[in-house]
Amino acid sequence: MITVTAARKNYGDFAALDDVGLEIPAGSLTALLGPSGSGKSTLLRSIAGLETLDAGRIDIDGRDVTAVPPQRRGIGFVFQHYAAFKHMTVRDNVAFGLTIRKRPRREVDKRVDELLEIVGLGGFQHRYPAQLSGGQRQRMALARALAVDPQVLLLDEPFGALDAKVRADLRRWLRRLHDEVHVTTVLVTHDQEEALDVSDRIAVLNAGRIEQVGSPDELYEQPANDFVMSFLGSVANIGGTMVRPHDIVLERESGVSLVTDAHPAPTRVRATVERIVRLGFEVRVDLVNDANGDRFAAQVTRAVSDDLGLEPGETVHACVPAAATRRGTAGESLAV
Amino acid sequence: MRTSTTTRLTLRTVALAYLLVLLAVPIALILWRTFGAGIMPFLESVRTPAAIAALNLSLLIVAIVVPVNVVFGITTAIALVRWRFPGRGLMQAVVDLPFAVSPIVVGVSLIMLWGVHGWFGGVESLGFKVIFGLPGMVLATLFVTLPFVVREVEPVLHEIGTDQEQAAATLGASTWQTFWRITLPAIRWGLTYGVVLTIARALGEFGAVIMVSSGFPGVSQTLTLLVHSRYIDDHNTYGAYAAASLLMGLALLTLLGMTLLDRKRSTS
Repeated sequence: MITVTAARKNYGDFAALDDVGLEIPAGSLTALLGPSGSGKSTLLRSIAGLETLDAGRIDIDGRDVTAVPPQRRGIGFVFQHYAAFKHMTVRDNVAFGLTIRKRPRREVDKRVDELLEIVGLGGFQHRYPAQLSGGQRQRMALARALAVDPQVLLLDEPFGALDAKVRADLRRWLRRLHDEVHVTTVLVTHDQEEALDVSDRIAVLNAGRIEQVGSPDELYEQPANDFVMSFLGSVANIGGTMVRPHDIVLERESGVSLVTDAHPAPTRVRATVERIVRLGFEVRVDLVNDANGDRFAAQVTRAVSDDLGLEPGETVHACVPAAATRRGTAGESLAV
Repeated sequence: MRTSTTTRLTLRTVALAYLLVLLAVPIALILWRTFGAGIMPFLESVRTPAAIAALNLSLLIVAIVVPVNVVFGITTAIALVRWRFPGRGLMQAVVDLPFAVSPIVVGVSLIMLWGVHGWFGGVESLGFKVIFGLPGMVLATLFVTLPFVVREVEPVLHEIGTDQEQAAATLGASTWQTFWRITLPAIRWGLTYGVVLTIARALGEFGAVIMVSSGFPGVSQTLTLLVHSRYIDDHNTYGAYAAASLLMGLALLTLLGMTLLDRKRSTS
């Protein structure tokens, strides 16, 4: 378990961490999610000891590590740009922490082989980092961090430098790895999809503060404020009401909804279809609110879109069921 | 950009002619004068006690200057790249000073500093002779070779960044272990170039060294001073050519070493 208490860090006038408190349960995979400059990396690097806090304290498994150097915090750290030791083979990279600890060679070899097998790099022992792809380098870096049996594993935008396909594969792989290894893991990301996909807890940061902490479902379904709502998943603004685009129900002007909807719709605006974008199974309908000219998008399934037979330039009614509108209202108690 | 054949051929000819007249001809001339009568006169000329002593002195100066420059060069480069401290800009400028200051000025200033009447002249009364002794020549050579290691290591340090060092720290390596196992291997090529340049310059230095050397043959003559004294004082033209060829041979060996290392680097 990691406990951060009243952490502060300033860079000149800029407050990277502004009175941050956070508890990360043992064995969890927690994502620190936020836009760039929100302080998420600073928080992670402070837990690692790579940054020194101006005020506050950090405990790892009940031990106050605020003044402990990174060497003795019992952490494993994975960097966005891999930080591979370029002049060492894969074997020596992974063995580094164990060699520093002067473990016997046989034990080191055994552990390295074991870890390389786990990360899917068995047989790559004698390659150099330059001979690996980005995804392979990052898996090597992960094996290197895990080699020293860290109490916590810290990942700083670990997939940020990889292309989309590899990124998606690797984060699912990380999730499976975490289910096997169970080491308390903290992952920094600015990608909400990544946070939702991989983590069991998410802390949303903004401007050096923590906006909300909870499970992916809690954050998505019951965002504490507009920032969390708009940062986690897409959001549409209909006449001042924040809703998820897939909660919007589109109706023809006749008033007959083509979607069976038993709920009354307190929010109903006339809008003009601007563009229809087919994204595989889903269809995004870009709309312009006739009342005030605001642009927003509704997300419907292909079947609904086909039934409606929408064309650009047509006028529709965009309706939002009551349950959906209550969600994003800041400060209120949340939807049932 | 495409250039016409005529332009290309003209440019090539001009460049070649320039290199030929300025570099190849003088060097070829010296080699021709040295080895024109066979290898024996050359060997005889570079085997005199004065020549052997000069070679030894030059190599001794290199042997002292290189390690000192390596240690202080790496330290300075790390300070300039990694640390933020007041006066850093000044330090950047000071490192380049030897490029700007004429070596003869270095010699004069060393005399003013360490000579009998200089600020530190007192050490001479303690029996430690700097000017007109080996320490003076070492100081002069250190001055002129100071920038090489710093300026070769600095860009490499910039390029590798601090990620690898931080990764080593999180894996439990102390600052010292990180330096030996991560930083030093990462900068080894920059360091090698710096050392090669330092050797070449230390062997070839003349202006600063002649000011602070007593110039006695067999005692305080480096190879460059030997060439000079044979030509000017002894009117031994052939001896000067032979010593110059020896000096050139050493420089070529250094360059050859650098080329071989470069090849090894690009294949590894």
